[in-house]
Amino acid sequence: MANSTRRTSNSGLSRRQIVLAGAAGTITVMAGIRPTFADGKPKVGLVMKSLSNEFFKQMQAGADKFAAENKDKFDFKAVGMKDERDFAAQVDAVENFITQKYDIIVVAPADSKAMATPLAKAVKAGITVVNIDVPLDAGAKKAAGIDLAFFGPDNQAGAKLAGDALAKDLGAGGKVVILEGNPEADNAKQRKQGFMESITEGKLQLLDSKTAHWETEEANTLMTNFLTKYQDIQGVMAANDSMALGVVKALDATGKSGKIKVVGFDNIPPVQPLIKNGKMLATVEQFGAQMAVNGIKYGLRQLAGEKFSGWIKTDVKLVEAKDLS
Amino acid sequence: MSERVERVEARKAHVKWDNLLHISMREAGVTVALVLIVLFFSATAPYFATTGNFLKIFVQIAINTVLAAGMTFVILTGGIDLSVGSVLALCTVVGATIMTDERLSAGISITLAFVACLGTGAICGAINGWVCEKWKLPSFIVTLGMLNIASGVARVVSNNSTITGLPQSFVEFGNMIFFGVFPSIFVIAVGVVLIGWFILRFTVFGRFIFAIGTNEEAVRLSGHNPSAIKIAAFTISGLTAGIAAMVYLLRLNVGSPIAGIGYELNAIAAVIIGGTSLSGGKGSIIGTLVGACILQVLSTGLQLLGAEDNVKPIVIGTVIVLAVILDTYRNKFLRAMESRRSDG
Repeated sequence: MANSTRRTSNSGLSRRQIVLAGAAGTITVMAGIRPTFADGKPKVGLVMKSLSNEFFKQMQAGADKFAAENKDKFDFKAVGMKDERDFAAQVDAVENFITQKYDIIVVAPADSKAMATPLAKAVKAGITVVNIDVPLDAGAKKAAGIDLAFFGPDNQAGAKLAGDALAKDLGAGGKVVILEGNPEADNAKQRKQGFMESITEGKLQLLDSKTAHWETEEANTLMTNFLTKYQDIQGVMAANDSMALGVVKALDATGKSGKIKVVGFDNIPPVQPLIKNGKMLATVEQFGAQMAVNGIKYGLRQLAGEKFSGWIKTDVKLVEAKDLS
Repeated sequence: MSERVERVEARKAHVKWDNLLHISMREAGVTVALVLIVLFFSATAPYFATTGNFLKIFVQIAINTVLAAGMTFVILTGGIDLSVGSVLALCTVVGATIMTDERLSAGISITLAFVACLGTGAICGAINGWVCEKWKLPSFIVTLGMLNIASGVARVVSNNSTITGLPQSFVEFGNMIFFGVFPSIFVIAVGVVLIGWFILRFTVFGRFIFAIGTNEEAVRLSGHNPSAIKIAAFTISGLTAGIAAMVYLLRLNVGSPIAGIGYELNAIAAVIIGGTSLSGGKGSIIGTLVGACILQVLSTGLQLLGAEDNVKPIVIGTVIVLAVILDTYRNKFLRAMESRRSDG
């Protein structure tokens, strides 16, 4: 069809068209532009994980509100990732904040080890880095030559709160399954550990424990399979509420909701009605909206000369039907 | 007689002018687009036109450029390789595991890791190509399978954890910057592109890659084996995934089973924006490099402009679609040129 000269050819037309393409592309974004100009106020950047995750949406909403109320004190910009697991994109975001000479970076690391090196670059560039949500790995921090305090919740203790609530409700010998988060995610590992402690202490019987990668749909499929495989499940521990939603749907479909007890984590708005009407037993609030705000506050205090070290624990709280009115 | 000579000369000059036009225009379209985008952001985005920012862009395009260079070979033959992202993940895990082995000295472990990274990638690519050719399957589905397989193997090898603690000399090389503006990993990426360019432009194998994408049957009828060449193209794609994994290790200093998610789509986007046709037979690897630059410049520029996160994918998506639309115009223009030429 095409002969050999065609392949090596290109056209003047395409050049003009591509120029237009570039122009069109840039015009498209004009609507979304918010220039950031320095005017003496400290610039604060918040780097989060996936914004498709309800928890980070809440975190951003809280931070945006706080920033709007304190416009005179600092400039604020928040960025999230398209995919929670793409930490190269998070590294890009941190590097961009360094280029833009931000004063404070508040970061919820997508990976506790991988983020240490890029954040060390920020520290060396003179930026105050505040680590929230997931602690950076101690070894990785040491290797990167930084010592950062961690402001965040104890995921293991939080999961144990939910697990204990389930253990109390079922009593010794209760048969449970666990739905884990992403196997490589630190908070997923910690939450599973918390659940396992509850199982040991509450003398529960663990039937199975598998990952549904934090996802509602995958949790729904996994739970349906569990229900087929194990006829006598009494309780479900889901490492986040998105998965708990999928579990409740699966129970609804088989008429078992309310009979099989479900606990989750995060206290996202969609689970609250489920807890109220008994389809879920409990979840754990870790105050995501407040976490970023506190991160910014700690950052501003550090910028003013204060020093923090170690683990500054933020609250975790069990949420049951009686807490929601 | 002299009139005929004159006509031949005129014809020669005409052809020469046409060829010159072709050569100068080959990557000119995308390059001009890139220059304009850079100028636009330099004028509007704070901190865009700084050495620090360009250094950062050079660092950020390295991985995608290497992947896209290999992808260009496969797409030129009319195939697609969806597995490169997770093959990269597998290679980072293999490389990092070897480099963190304490029984080996730094020099030996880095060398072994290098060989293992490239070897693992090439093997995955060769399997892709072999399965496609042996059973005459569409590469879309075979490489989709490899995407999952490599990802699973990476998780098994790494036991679902991120591997850190690479040798200091390796990390330092990753941070190195030549002549103040060329980061080491960018130099590697450009090197890969140049080698790819040389192969496609000056070797018989390179000509066959184009020939297969244009008319596979003709290659077969001329007594050559298209299967071997296509398998080689997939092997090259796998090999560059291995090289990209080394670049990843140099840049992020960690091996991870979840590295590279979605990278295959960025690589394909760079190839397409660079002017290579998805149906094969037409395109260039230099265009791919420019395409990768456009993607990253847009991404960084928009971020520096303060655009919303959600605006970025909208713009980049628009640019990809526009690039393909332009391809149809280019084809029309070329057809017109061909007919003009054959008219004399």
